[in-house]
Amino acid sequence: MGFEMEWKKVKRTGFIPAFLFGGVLAAAVPVLNMAVRSEVVLGIDAPPIQSLLNANWQMMAMLNVLLVVAEACLMYHTEYADNAMQRMCTLPMKESNLFFGKFAFMAVMCVVILIIENAAIAFCSFHWFGRTENILVELFQNLGYELLLMLPAVLCSLLIASVCINMWVSLGIGVVCVFMATMLPTDNFILSLFPFALPFQIFAGTAKDTVCHFIMAAWIEIVILTMIEVLFLKVRRLFE
Amino acid sequence: MSFLSLVGIELKKIHRSKIVWILAIATVILWFPSILNARINFEMHGEGISPENNFLIQGFMGMAWFMFPASMVVGTVLLNMVERSNKGMLKMLSLPVNTVKLCLAKFVVLLTLAAFQILMTVGMYYVSAGIASQTQHYNFILQPLFVFKEAGMIFAAAIPMISFFWLLSVCIQTSIFSIGIGLASIVPSVLMINTKIWFAYPMAYPFFVITAEYGKLAANFTTSQVELIPWLPAAASITIFCLFASCLCFGRAERR
Repeated sequence: MGFEMEWKKVKRTGFIPAFLFGGVLAAAVPVLNMAVRSEVVLGIDAPPIQSLLNANWQMMAMLNVLLVVAEACLMYHTEYADNAMQRMCTLPMKESNLFFGKFAFMAVMCVVILIIENAAIAFCSFHWFGRTENILVELFQNLGYELLLMLPAVLCSLLIASVCINMWVSLGIGVVCVFMATMLPTDNFILSLFPFALPFQIFAGTAKDTVCHFIMAAWIEIVILTMIEVLFLKVRRLFE
Repeated sequence: MSFLSLVGIELKKIHRSKIVWILAIATVILWFPSILNARINFEMHGEGISPENNFLIQGFMGMAWFMFPASMVVGTVLLNMVERSNKGMLKMLSLPVNTVKLCLAKFVVLLTLAAFQILMTVGMYYVSAGIASQTQHYNFILQPLFVFKEAGMIFAAAIPMISFFWLLSVCIQTSIFSIGIGLASIVPSVLMINTKIWFAYPMAYPFFVITAEYGKLAANFTTSQVELIPWLPAAASITIFCLFASCLCFGRAERR
């Protein structure tokens, strides 16, 4: 129910075109990069997917995270603008359902943009590398991994957006968090567990142990962030 | 109503917006890693830049590439939302005030926010340089004249970019598009500064200017330098066009 309601709410806000446009923009990064300077990427001595991701994923992940932050702000802005939130609170449903509906919707849109991006990477590897063995399996693994690592960022930005009533405050905090994620050193495991830094990780070429650690960490973060949000909503309700 | 008092009123509107806190947190986060990694500054023999210059320029580069442009996008959202909530814009348009003046007053407020953020960055630079000098037993503190010159250059180079963001937020009514285009346009600036047509991309100006300074200060490292001839006319025409178009669009949706 929450999912359907969210779909109705965001229908006319430009939410879905913005998500698709962002996905296409991020997907254009590897294609353009290969078109302009393919010799640099082809020169890397690594499997095609890995060298493509190494060359482009930082920028694509940055676009993804910024998109997630902006869309999360927008989703809660539709609730807080003109006090729609107060009406939502009078409905016979839990306030946290609103959050989970939004989260489910964002997660589906994340799947969509990740499919677009991975399709672009598949196109690049077919077109420029010309090797096909196991590429689809690897891409699906990559997609699942990136999706799982993106969910903590989605939850965290929705959490920020649900706490702040004013859109610029949540957007500002989100942008500062993204900035912090770009400043963190990438070789430090503990620091790269920061929810907004997780989507910058690359699946291909990473040791199996590290991948397992990141997957576990992402699940733990998802559980913790969900608990924080539910708790926060309960506490805020008490003081309203 | 004089222009100055209009700017004063606009400043009063964002008085309680907490934007200053967000900008302040950003500058603290910017300099914190520099203090922790102050030792790296001594390992720049390859580039041939002195440790104190490297400390300053690396920090400024971190600010100019993402945080500063992104804060300006947040600033445009703030200025926009203040008017949109509770139909503030309609009330403003009903006043006997020229809308062009109103639009420009808001732009000046945005510039003030930019200047304020840069000043805070400079302030935090002195604090962090002081701390780093203590921990590394080496004087990282530079002459204020030099630091302010660099900061002033970033600010001046950012004016076309800020006017472009202002145009986006005024002309595009759907807020997600104006925010999305603004934020997404910052990301490719790293690529744009390495191309020949960097002067056509206002979002890359602040980062380009500070990278050019890095090339000047580092003896063994060359970066492309600012060429005033294609740049100044391009920057001026972009700024004038953006401001002109935003003045035309200002309040158009509400006037219909």
